[in-house]
Amino acid sequence: MTTEIDISVDFAGVRLANPVMTASGTCGYADELADFMDMTALGGFITKSITLQPRKGNPTPRIVETDAGMLNAIGLANVGLERFIAEKLPVLDAMAIAVFVNVAGTTIDEYVAVTERLACEKAIAGFELNISCPNVKKGGITFGTEPAQIEEITRAVKAACEQKVLIVKLTPSVTDVAVTAKAALAGGADALSLVNTFTAMVIDTETRRPVLSNRTGGLSGPAIKPMAVYLVNRVYREVTKDAGVPILGLGGIRTATDAIEFILAGASAVAVGTASFVEPGCAVRIVDGIRNYCAKGNIEKLSELVGAVDRDETG
Amino acid sequence: MPDKRTAPSKGVFTATVLANRQTGDCFYKADLEFTDAGAKALATFQAGQFVQVDASDVSLPPEDTIPAHLRDVCKRKVLLRRPFSFADVTAEQDRTTAELLYCVLGPASVRMTTLERGDALSIVGPLGKGFWVPPEKDTALLVVGGMGAPPIRCLAQSLTAEHPEINAVAFVGARTAETLPFEGTLDEVSQQLGFWVPAFAKYGIPSVVVTDDGSVGSRALVTESLVQWLDQHEHRPEKTIIYACGPENMLSALARVAEKWNIDCQVSMERRMACGIGLCQSCAVECRVEGSQETVYKLCCQDGPVFDTREVIFKA
Repeated sequence: MTTEIDISVDFAGVRLANPVMTASGTCGYADELADFMDMTALGGFITKSITLQPRKGNPTPRIVETDAGMLNAIGLANVGLERFIAEKLPVLDAMAIAVFVNVAGTTIDEYVAVTERLACEKAIAGFELNISCPNVKKGGITFGTEPAQIEEITRAVKAACEQKVLIVKLTPSVTDVAVTAKAALAGGADALSLVNTFTAMVIDTETRRPVLSNRTGGLSGPAIKPMAVYLVNRVYREVTKDAGVPILGLGGIRTATDAIEFILAGASAVAVGTASFVEPGCAVRIVDGIRNYCAKGNIEKLSELVGAVDRDETG
Repeated sequence: MPDKRTAPSKGVFTATVLANRQTGDCFYKADLEFTDAGAKALATFQAGQFVQVDASDVSLPPEDTIPAHLRDVCKRKVLLRRPFSFADVTAEQDRTTAELLYCVLGPASVRMTTLERGDALSIVGPLGKGFWVPPEKDTALLVVGGMGAPPIRCLAQSLTAEHPEINAVAFVGARTAETLPFEGTLDEVSQQLGFWVPAFAKYGIPSVVVTDDGSVGSRALVTESLVQWLDQHEHRPEKTIIYACGPENMLSALARVAEKWNIDCQVSMERRMACGIGLCQSCAVECRVEGSQETVYKLCCQDGPVFDTREVIFKA
C-alpha cells in the first residue's frame, strides 16, 4: 500500500480520528467499557444523558428483547450534573478523545443550566441535545416533535455553548423528520444525530399487560437499521447536504458494513449502541472494518463516501 | 458491614463445551472449559458472580422436540446475551472448568440444549459481586429455591475450601420432586435433618428438602423449614448468616426471617439485563438509603447480584 488511508472526520469543526462513536445511553460514562476495549481507539464518546438533578429512572422491567432488537425504558437514570463533574468527567478527560455530553431535562432552563455549567470544561468537545427520549413523561420527545419547540430549545442551548459543538438528536417518531431537522438547523444546531429509538410496545400475553413498567419503550438494534438508514438519507438530501451540516448516523449498527451504509446514506460519523451490549468491544472492531473497506476499495479519504449513494457513478 | 468484595478482571472469552445433557424435567447441565486468558479470568470467579452467555448463533432443536409452550417464543432470534451463575468452578494448572446448570425457559436456553462437545460458546465474565463472608461467622444457612441452586452450590464449594470454621446446612425447596434442580437420587439417609442432596453432601453439608406438594421431603415452604431449624438448633445470631438464591418472594420472606432473628442475610437477585456490565442500566434493584426515606436503584449486574437483604426493597 502506498498511501495511508485517512478515516479521520471533521465533524462540525471537531477532528475525530475515525468516524465511530458510542451512542448515548449504551456505553455508560466510559469507565464501564475500559475493561473491554481501548477507548482511545474510538473516534468519539457520547455519554449517557445528564440531567441537572440525579434521576432514579423507571421501575423494572426496563427492557425486553424483540425480534432483532430490544425495547428500553430506562427513564434517563443518571448521577446528575454535580456527580458527573466530580466523578465521571476526570475519566473522560483522561481518554483524550472527543467527548460529547448528552444533555436531557424537562424544561428548557434545565437543558441550558446543564450545558452552561459544562461549556467551560475543556474535556468536552460538545453536546448532544436529547430532545427525543421516548421514556420520560415530561420533556424529551415532547420537545422533539414540535418544530417550533425544537428551534427554541436549540437556540437557547446553543447560546449557552457558543464555543462547543451542539448536536441535536432527533426522534424518528414524527411524520417528517426533514421538518424537525430543519427546525434544529434554524435554531443553530452544528450537527444532527439520527435516529433515536422508535417508540414501541410489547405485551405479555399471559398477564395481558405491557411487559415494560413504562408501558412503552424505545426500539433499538438491527431491527431499526433500514429505517434509520432511510431517515439519514432523507435528511441528508433534503436538509443537511446543502447546509453543510454533518449527520451522526445511528440505529442498529453492529458491523463495519452497517456503518458504511450509514456513511453512504449521508452520515459523516456513526454511533454504535445496542451492539455494545452484546459485544462490548464492537465499536473498535468496526473502526478496523471501516479501514479495511477503504483499503479494499482504494478509498483514500473516508469523506469521499459520505452521501455517495446519491452521487453520479461517473462523478 | 464491611464489604470486602473486589471486582476482578473480566473480559470476553470463548468456552469449549465438554458435555451438555438433560438432568431433570427442564434442567440441563453444560460443562465448560476455559483455557489461556479465559482460564485465568474464570479462576477468580467468586460464588454468586455470573457470566453473560451468547446463544444467538446456537441452532434450535427440531421444532417437535421444543416444549409446546416455548415454540412460539422460539421463532424469535436471540439478540442479547443471557446471564448465568456457575454451580461449580474448578481451576487447574492451565484450564478452568465450570458447570453451567440451566433451565429451559425461552429462546436462548432452548438453543443451548443443542450444544455439543467441542462447540464454542462466547462468554463475558466474571461479572458482578458475589457472596462474601463477614468476620466471626461459624454457621451458614444455605437456602435454595428452585433454580436458585447454582450460585448456592458454588458457595458450598468455596465455603468448604476457604472457610473450614463455618458449618453449613442447606435448605432446598422446589414445587415437586421432579423440579428439584439436582442430579441423582436423594439418599434418604438417617440424618436427623432429613435428606442428603448429593450436590451438597459431597462437601459434607446436610440438606433439608421440602416441596410444595410433599412429593419429597416435607410439604412446606423452604422458609418454614429454615425457621423450624432456627427454632430447634442452638445458634448465635451474630455468628450465623443466611445465603440464598431463588424467587423474589422467597427472598423477601427470608429477609423478614433474618430481620426477626437478627441474622445477616445475603441474597442473589435476578433482573432482566441486556449487557451485564453496567451499560444499559436495565437491571435496577431498589435499595434503601441509610438514614433517609429516599430510595435508590442499584444495578444488579454491578452492585450485585448479591445484596444484603437490609438494603433491598423487594418487589414481591
